Amino acid sequence: MDNAVDQHDIERLNDKDKAELRSFITNEQQRTRIQSQTHNLTDMCWKKCVTGPIKSGTLDKGDSTCLANCVERFLDVNIATMKHLSNMRQ
Amino acid sequence: MDSESVKRAIIKQVLTESNMANARQLIEKINDNCFDKCIPKPGSSVSSSEQTCITQCMEKYMAAWNQVNSAYLRRIQQEVGNNGGL
Repeated sequence: MDNAVDQHDIERLNDKDKAELRSFITNEQQRTRIQSQTHNLTDMCWKKCVTGPIKSGTLDKGDSTCLANCVERFLDVNIATMKHLSNMRQ
Repeated sequence: MDSESVKRAIIKQVLTESNMANARQLIEKINDNCFDKCIPKPGSSVSSSEQTCITQCMEKYMAAWNQVNSAYLRRIQQEVGNNGGL
């Protein structure tokens, strides 16, 4: 990359910019975590919800509702699992 | 480079890489799922009906991604509001 940053450049960062970068990285990590989870969820829910042959490039009402429900129920399971595990630990 | 331009270069580089990674993941999933849907029995070439299916499947998959993403974000926001996050 033409404008790649090396160790020498990083040493030029002042404290204010370092702090800004830290919070940028934290946000970016959260954003990519959500995006990555969206990829997994879409893959999983596509397989459950889009079962017939592809007849158009848009989602019909049924697909759309199923996808939203799929996400909600998956997260219900996620939360239930965590609650159960935390009860077991006590 | 001064501090400001080092910072900007880092931000730019991180964004470029994470957007690339995101696109790569999407392409991989579209390939898997649309191949599965549109080419049930691979023939000696891609037929025109399979080609139509692939194009529509890509569009539909991206619409599904957006739908899932907004349902997911909505739920995260709701959970954060309830008890400080998942």
